[in-house]
Amino acid sequence: MSDPSPPSPPPEFPPVEPTNFDLIVIGTGLSQSVIAAAASTAGKTVLHLDPNPFYGSHFSSLSLPELSSFLLSAPSQPSHSSPISDEYDVVPLSSRPLYSDVEISALPTELEDCSRRFCFDVSGPRVLFCADSAIDLLLKSGVNHYLEFKSVDVSLIYDGESGKFSSVPGSRAAIFNDKSLSLIEKLTLMGFFKLVQKHLGGEGEDVISEEDLESPFVEFLNKFRLNKNPLNQKIKWIILYAIALADYDQENLEVCKDLLKTKDGINRLALYHSSIGRFPNAPGAMLYPMYGQGELPQAFCRRAAVKGCIYVLRMPVAALLADKGSGLYRGVRLASGQDLFSHQLLIDPQFVIPQALALSKSGSLQVNSQNSIPKDIKMKVARGICITRTSLKSDALNLLIVYPPRSLYPEQVTSVRVLQLGSNSAVCPVGMFVLHLSSFCDDANQGKKLLKAAVDALFKQPSSVISEIKSSETPEDNSVDQGAVTEEEKPALVWTASYLQEITEESVSTISSSPCPDGNLSYNNLIDTTKKMFEQMFSGEEFFPDAPEDPDNVEDSAPE
Amino acid sequence: MATIGHNNLNAKLVLLGDMGAGKSSVVLRFVKGQFLEFQESTIGAAFFSQTLAVNDATVKFEIWDTAGQERYHSLAPMYYRGAAAAIIVYDITTQESFSRAKKWVQELQKQGNPNMVMALAGNKADLEEKRVVLAEEARTYAEENGLFFMETSAKTAKNVNEIFYEIAKKLPRAQAPQNPAGMVLVDRQGDAARASSCCS
Repeated sequence: MSDPSPPSPPPEFPPVEPTNFDLIVIGTGLSQSVIAAAASTAGKTVLHLDPNPFYGSHFSSLSLPELSSFLLSAPSQPSHSSPISDEYDVVPLSSRPLYSDVEISALPTELEDCSRRFCFDVSGPRVLFCADSAIDLLLKSGVNHYLEFKSVDVSLIYDGESGKFSSVPGSRAAIFNDKSLSLIEKLTLMGFFKLVQKHLGGEGEDVISEEDLESPFVEFLNKFRLNKNPLNQKIKWIILYAIALADYDQENLEVCKDLLKTKDGINRLALYHSSIGRFPNAPGAMLYPMYGQGELPQAFCRRAAVKGCIYVLRMPVAALLADKGSGLYRGVRLASGQDLFSHQLLIDPQFVIPQALALSKSGSLQVNSQNSIPKDIKMKVARGICITRTSLKSDALNLLIVYPPRSLYPEQVTSVRVLQLGSNSAVCPVGMFVLHLSSFCDDANQGKKLLKAAVDALFKQPSSVISEIKSSETPEDNSVDQGAVTEEEKPALVWTASYLQEITEESVSTISSSPCPDGNLSYNNLIDTTKKMFEQMFSGEEFFPDAPEDPDNVEDSAPE
Repeated sequence: MATIGHNNLNAKLVLLGDMGAGKSSVVLRFVKGQFLEFQESTIGAAFFSQTLAVNDATVKFEIWDTAGQERYHSLAPMYYRGAAAAIIVYDITTQESFSRAKKWVQELQKQGNPNMVMALAGNKADLEEKRVVLAEEARTYAEENGLFFMETSAKTAKNVNEIFYEIAKKLPRAQAPQNPAGMVLVDRQGDAARASSCCS
């Protein structure tokens, strides 16, 4: 599709017209694309640039050669050869690497012919919940017309104690039909779901007390009794890690960096429940966009383009232009040498806001107090991608597996989530599967150990390799029910890649910085953050006002 | 993707080609029977739809416009993904637009949907006196690359309906799409429960 060589502006580019904009956006990541679309819809003039030859930036879906070149690309050094301007200070724009510890296995000969037919999500695994704010935004902005989805068929959780996978019963019907649950497990889980439903339905006051809502969710689960029966460990794990999708070990406060409160846990449960059955054709709670998550930014960019936003890919920005007197931001200098001007600038998280400009007065815009410049690196996510020829579960193509904390090895602090995608999602050739893994971590050692343990648990290992992790693990000869894999049936690993991604904070000012892909499974936080950024950047403008939709899905407003 | 039901075929159709080759003009002529001498660059339109009756079936074209993203060679791949048909448009008065058209054909072939119906349209056929691309040259190229070829004029309407009819006739013979279609999410309006539906 596109050239994997380092991006350089094609010389035949016509100069960009016009030269003044309300907003210039650098990078076509999801956040930037949503803001470009929202600003264009609000009637703002927007120029959207990307140094890469593809859409999506850190949210793109890339072929195998593109992925290697994207992850390994060296940060651009500010060029000092920019001609001096009499009118403006020319401040070089520098970037820093978001990815580190990139390990990509050699391409096996069997994949040589089809390496371009894979779409790997750079920030996977990620899905949409049918009732989440990302889906609402797709529908509200009309972007849903550009996209097709596949359902995630099954959600599984690994039980470290029994060494078995069990399916995650997200609804009452699923609980009822689940053969892996005992009667008492079914009753207590059903009872807990009923309690949550009663609380959310507002039936009677104080179904769950204010004090409980503010307390840790895990304590609330521990307290719960149905006819004196508590929720057992397996049920608690399902609720905490497979439905509420907690990232850190909720039962070990020393290591837990994100302790889920009861009210948040209940909201996540509610999201999961309302996602099931929202769309009649989607049996599960989760959806995945065909051709990969990179379709989402493309869809928002298309929406923006329809509203007049101008798109220029393969166009790096060499420097920013600042007013000589005041030091205020004025515009950008493209790698082609052209100077373009805007009231506001939104940059990709890989770029560093130059100190000189960051310190200048930010005009009437309110700076988000939570953000500091230079950006603090708070957390890291370890991400892995695998190719295999056999599904992890014989009767499903697209599925999610959660390895809760301590299920892989005793010191495992965070959940590892694995999303398997089949060829019906159009991300790989027929007969192959793509797996995305991720886990929060403090550093590369911890992150790589987490991914390795999960990969070792999922795939058949060459007999010569003796894994240190596996030796201290639960026995492997489990008779796993539900059609899940046993050691003998484990698929072979064809290809794998792993890397660490840093998570930086967004910031809003005359020059705003968009958020990095987070370590979550959903787009919820990211979309909420993006909406807030837009409202700060364009106070008074509505974020995609409701427009009457043509019942025929057809926009027919071409110039008369 | 082309989807079939009760002899009705829904087909995504995309137009590709250089800016100014006349993609929007061809669509406007086909959909509305209009022609504007100075058609603005495309802004504001996402889709057009037009239904054609061919033999015993009807074909509903969902025609996607480029939304101007081709201006700086930045068309998103999602634009032509899943398309059942493509019209690659060039301007017979510029050799450069013909070269760009060939690049688009290559790009579509790389996408690897062998069932896509591709048409090559030499537009602005009314400007015979300014012609630089010979019809024979384009026809030979089209035949070698599995496209069918017509010279069109959005201005005089020459061959505009014909090219869409020809595509419609070829479509039902195309085999089932390579990738099964996914769900398109639709929010039913005015539904008290804000219920939504998915149609495939």
